[in-house]
Parts: sequence; structure tokens; C-alpha cells
Amino acid sequence: MRPFSSVRGVAFAAFLALIGTFGLDCLVFRNAVYTHYLEPESSTGLFEMILRREQKAQKELGDNLVVTFGNSRFAYSRKIIDHLPQAPVYMVRDAGVAGSNARVWNYMLRDLDPTAQRYRAVIIGVDDYDDEDRAFNPADDIRELHYVIARLRLADTFEFARSFHSPALQWAAFRGGLLKGIIYQNDFQGFLSHPEKRVDYVQLCDRDWANWAYDYQETEANMSGLQIDWSTLQVTWPPGANDDQRGTVNSFLAHAPDPQTGQLAAYRRQWFGKIIERYRNSRTKVIFLMLPRGPIPRPANLSVKKSSSIRDMAQQPGVLLANEHAFDELERPELFRDGMHLNREGIARFSVLLTHEIDRILGDPQPGKAR
Amino acid sequence: MLFNTTNFFLFLSVVLVLFYASPRSWRRYILLLASYYFYASWNAKFIALLLTLTVIDYTAARWIEKLPPGRKRKAALSVSLCANLGFLGFFKYYNFLAGNLALLFGRPANAWFLDIVLPLGISFHTFQSISYVVDVYRGEQQAVRDPVDYALFICFFPQLVAGPIVRARTFFHDLLKWSPPVADDLRRGLFLMALGLIKKMAFADQFAKVANGYFQNVAGNPGVLAAWSGVLAFGMQIYFDFSGYTDMAIGMAKLLGFHFPVNFRRPYLASSITDFWRRWHISLSSWLRDYLYIPLGGSRHGQWMTYRNLMLTMLLGGLWHGANWNFLIWGGYHGALLSIERALGVRPEKPVSAWLYPIRMMLTTALALIGWVFFRAADFTQSRLILGAMFHGTAGQWQLEPWHMELIVLALFLALWEEKWEWFERLMVAPRLVYASALALVLFGVDVFGVIDASVPFIYFQF
Repeated sequence: MRPFSSVRGVAFAAFLALIGTFGLDCLVFRNAVYTHYLEPESSTGLFEMILRREQKAQKELGDNLVVTFGNSRFAYSRKIIDHLPQAPVYMVRDAGVAGSNARVWNYMLRDLDPTAQRYRAVIIGVDDYDDEDRAFNPADDIRELHYVIARLRLADTFEFARSFHSPALQWAAFRGGLLKGIIYQNDFQGFLSHPEKRVDYVQLCDRDWANWAYDYQETEANMSGLQIDWSTLQVTWPPGANDDQRGTVNSFLAHAPDPQTGQLAAYRRQWFGKIIERYRNSRTKVIFLMLPRGPIPRPANLSVKKSSSIRDMAQQPGVLLANEHAFDELERPELFRDGMHLNREGIARFSVLLTHEIDRILGDPQPGKAR
Repeated sequence: MLFNTTNFFLFLSVVLVLFYASPRSWRRYILLLASYYFYASWNAKFIALLLTLTVIDYTAARWIEKLPPGRKRKAALSVSLCANLGFLGFFKYYNFLAGNLALLFGRPANAWFLDIVLPLGISFHTFQSISYVVDVYRGEQQAVRDPVDYALFICFFPQLVAGPIVRARTFFHDLLKWSPPVADDLRRGLFLMALGLIKKMAFADQFAKVANGYFQNVAGNPGVLAAWSGVLAFGMQIYFDFSGYTDMAIGMAKLLGFHFPVNFRRPYLASSITDFWRRWHISLSSWLRDYLYIPLGGSRHGQWMTYRNLMLTMLLGGLWHGANWNFLIWGGYHGALLSIERALGVRPEKPVSAWLYPIRMMLTTALALIGWVFFRAADFTQSRLILGAMFHGTAGQWQLEPWHMELIVLALFLALWEEKWEWFERLMVAPRLVYASALALVLFGVDVFGVIDASVPFIYFQF
């Protein structure tokens, strides 16, 4: 054996090593086996389980499927819908992930519906049709990299990285999109610690998680007694209010308006725009649905909203808006468990109203047009 | 600029491009400017201190060389030593001495404190300067003619802030007879840099999380297992942190055509504490041997004087690490162990039988870990608490995750493989594909284990 003896040879070896590093990363992380065995309780693992569940549902549940996307605020119960006296026209499926947003839903939808023909409608739950900016720019939510990491393709790397505003986050997203091992570190280390336990747990979730989610019942806790003086933003708390309830009320409802910069509108136009574009020549409708605003809705005049990107997008063919007052009756403290999430009773009522609203918007199905 | 950051790699890339794209006569100036820029990126104020010491030592060495043996020559040496030790003493030990004196006189410990910031790397570059001036005094080294060469010797950025402590003859041999690195240097340089990265980011910084968690909340983590695992985590952290830094320093020096000495040789495989000190921070231990232990008399004046010299050398070695009673105790602890081993006739040169070696290796590692308690603990009270927990009490909870233990086993396997079969040397002469695959594996290790965004400073930067 003779070592390579030129400077150029060393440079080439270094180049090969970089290719090799990337190759190893691809070999380990860019495959269905690894993504299947992600920790189910991690954000990526949960995202992937939901994706798998919904891919399976497409094969089993026929043509009249409607898929919903949202964060933890878009909570309804399939079980309650299934037990309604009059079966709804459309089968509603929940592909939302707690803490997620439009960018995440775009990548989920790309793999969930690659032909853009599998659903009658894609329903997107939003807090408001108007664009109210908060201090934090949603484009800079790096958690979204962790949700979608398994879905990112090599060709997405630049675009995905560029969608962040801060240069540091752009670099983090680019680096993570290229070398997925960086993002999977905790998961990989956890797997190395207890490989057998991980495999067993994933298999258990494969078998039973859909049922657990189906049977899940939200807490009965409520916010009765909550009052907000909107002129001073003083809150009267329900007796025994916990930190979570106080935190969500303060951050979601009783906060002073932030400067309106247009960053939310830009984010929505970019990512909802992509979803609408995907279904432009499809018969699948894109429906925006305004979720119940909270135990006490924040007055619309508290901040001056400069735009309404969703109303603008709804001017396009195939894009619809749900009635923004469809869920007004749910906006009561006794139907919320904290400042932003419905409780068990709220979810039950929302599930019924949701199916009625979907049926109302979509009307009778026209067989054979979807799928 | 930490070595394991994007900024540093950008800096290094620019330096390498400028260095090799420039005419040869400019290259020393480029390295000097780059080194001052690197130092200034930490704290520009102390550039003045660095320059002052450079001027003093350069001038002192020139005088020493010119003067005949006698009082004037000694005076020139004394000026240099006083300047180096004076600055080191003031910046590093003033508050320690003032605090202890204040307590002695019944005043609050901080009564005479000054708001002093320790200049980065002062312990390293003063030791390097001292060795140069003393070597010139002893006639073992010619005084350098060109002040730029001397300034570069003191502030060369790969080893400026945390060593290895490079002897003048090694550095000037490379500098004055500089030749472009050959393929072998580049192979080694690149691989050492990658090895340093994985040691720092994937091993040291991961173990640091566990060690910091334990040492910052000892009371909250009671029990024997918690104590041993917390201390083991720190033992791993400090080794991988410092040897990782050194590997990167040696690696980047090779890319620039300089050859630094080895600073670590798998210290946790040592069969005795004496052997440990021949493998741990070799450039410091050999400095202490040549400029302290041997001038004190070494082992030439009988058994008890040898023990005294060992104790003094290790106490000062401990104090070199920091102005703190714990460092002094750590040095004293090692001095005592070295003396005991000497009394028992333990010699690293003597072969150890295959069955005895694992036992001695584990015992040595355990003794080194006990020493690390003093090194890492906030004060003597915490050291006592941890040592107490290591030897009695409830079992407690093991702090390391199974994957940490897998990393330790992997590191042990690679160390044993290197010790017996020298995989590194074999790899350096292996075909391109084998070399590239090994390099890719190392970088993949950084990918999946490296602590990427949390900048954990190198431990030895504080010394």
C-alpha cells in the first residue's frame, strides 16, 4: 500500500471525505426505516405518525375525505363525529400537529397528497382571517425545521433555509436540511441508549396510537369566572387558575398590541400561497376556517390590522372561507380549558358544528371527481 | 473565536489563502497580523501586554547573549523573569493573595480585591517566554535576531491561548527553515483537525452537560453512583476538551508548515500516576521537569529531596492552573502520589504483566478522577462533599446515559487500538479511499453527536 503523496491528492481525499460524510448522513437518516423508528413522543415522531395514519386512512376510507390542518387549537373529536345521529357527508380527518403552522402543513400536504387529488377539501384552521402581527416573526420559528425534517428533500434545502428571516436561523436551517443528523441528534442518541425499547414502543404506537388518539378525552377544566377589562388589560382569574391558564390568557388574549409589521401576512402569503398553488388545477377545495377565538374573544379594535391576506387569497378560484361567526357560540369561558384551547365540552360542540359547516360549504359530493 | 466555530473556520480559511497566495517574504507578517487579530478578537486591550512582554523578553535575550557570564547577565535574566512572573502573578494571583491576607488580618476576603480580568493565554505564553530566555541564558538557544520572528513565537494563533507550550528551538527550526507542508503534513493536519473537532464537540461538550449538571447541584444528586458518574463525566470532558484543542492546534500548525510536539498520549491508559504525567499535558509536564524539577535538584540529592522536589513541582504545577486552594491541593495530591509511587519503586519503563495492567490502569484512572474533584469543584467544601459521596452513602442515580457509556467504550477501544497497533500511523499511510472514509466517519460523528450551537469554551482557556 502506498499513501497518496501529492497535495492535490490530499485535497481530493478531503473532498471525498465531505461527500462521504454527506453520504453517511443520507444512508442513516434519509430513509423510511429511520423515520419510522423516530421517538413517537418527539415533535418529528408525532408528525410522522400522523402522516402515516392519514396515508393509511386514504387507502381505507374511500373518496369523501376532507383533511384538516391546524395547531392544538383546532381540536375536535372523530369519535363524537362518528357517533352523530346523522352521519356527516364528508369524512373529516385530522392531520394537524400541536405547535405547527403553515410552513409545516405545506410539507406535510406535499407527501400526504402528492397527486393533489386525494381529498375533497383541505381545511386550514386559523386564529383570524385578518393579519395581526405579534412580536415574534412566525417565519423564524425554528421548531418547524424539527417538525418537517423527515419530509425535507435535498432540493428543498435552499428554499426552506431562505424562508427564515434571521441569518443565523437561515444557516441553522440550511445546515440541518443538508445534514439531517444534526437535527436528529437527540433522537439518535436516545435510540442508541435504548434501541429495543424504542423499537417496541414504535411498534406499540403503530398498533394502538390511532385508537388512543381516537379515544382521547380532553380535560373538563374550564375558565368560568374569567373576566378581562380590555381598556386596562386587567384580568380577573377563575378561582384556582393555574400557571398554564394564566400564561395562555396573558399571551394569547390580554396582551397589548404589538407593532404591525406585515410579517404574518408575508408568512401566510408564502406558505398558504403554496398550498393554494398545489390545488390550483385540482378539484380539491382549500377552505380557511376561523377557530373559536378564546374564552373571551379579543375585541377586533384592540389593534389596527393592516391586511387580511386570507380574505385576499379567498378571491382565488377553489379557495373558500368558512363563516367567521360559525363558532361564536363556543367563545365562552366554560367551554375553554385555558386561554386558547377548548375543553371537553367545547370540543364536543365544536366537532358537531365543524361537520355542519363543512357540509354546508362543500354541499353534496360529486362522485368520481376527487381521488 | 473558539476553534470549533464557523467564524474561526472562516478566519482560518482566509489566513491559509493569504498565507499561500503571498510571496514567501510576507508570510511571517501575515501570520503575525492574523495572530494579533485572533488575540484581539478575545480582548484587544491585552495586545499591549503581549507586546510589552515580547519587547522585554526579546531585548533581554539579546543582552544575555551578548554579555559575558556574570552579574549583568544574571540581571538581564532576572529582568525577564520578573517581568513574566510579575505580570502573571499580578493578573492571576493578586486577588488570591489579597483575599487570603485579608482573611489573615481579620478583614473580609474581598477587602483588597482589584477588578482584574485574566488575559487570555497568559499562563501559556509566559511559560513559553521563560523557557526561551532561560535556554538563551543556558546557551542552549541562540537569541533571535528578528523581532517579528520572536513576536510570532509568542503569539502564533494555533497555540496562543491554550498551548501546547512550544519550545523555542522547535518553533524557530520550523520558522527559519520553513518549507511548504508536504502531503503527509496535510494528511495529518486535516485528520488531526477533524479528530480535535469530534473530541471537543461530540465528546467533551456532551460530557460537559452531565458534569456541569452534577457539579452545579451536588446536593441535588446524592449517592455514590451519582458522584462517580459526575466525576467520570468531568474526567472525560477535560481530557477530550484539552486534547481536542491540542489536536486542532497541532493540525492547523501542520497546515501552515509548523510541527508542534504531541501533548497527550492516551493518559487514561496509564499504568501509574507517574505514567499518567508522561501522557497528560506533556508540554507542561516536560516544562516543569526542565525548568523547575531539575533546577531544584531533581532526584540527584537523595530520596527525601526527590520527594520534596516532586511535591514542590506539582504544587506549583497545580497553582499554574489557577489561583485557588483547590488547584494547590490537586497539585499536592499528585505530588504525593508521585512520591509514593517513587517510594514503592513504580517505574513506567518497567513492563506490566498483561493480567496486572487492566487493574493498574483502572486504579490509576480512579486516582486521577479523585484528583479531578479538586480541579472542578467550586471550593474545598464542595470537594469534601463529593469525595464523601464517592465513598459512602446511598447508591444514588448514575448520571450518564447509556449512549455516553457507548462513547466511552468506543473511545477506550480506539485508544487501546492506537496503543497496541497505532491505527493513526497506519491510516496516514493508507490508500486515499481508506483515509477519506475514516475522515468521513469522524465528521459523521460530529454530525450526530456534536454539540453544534452552544459555544462551550475550552476549559484550558481560563488558565
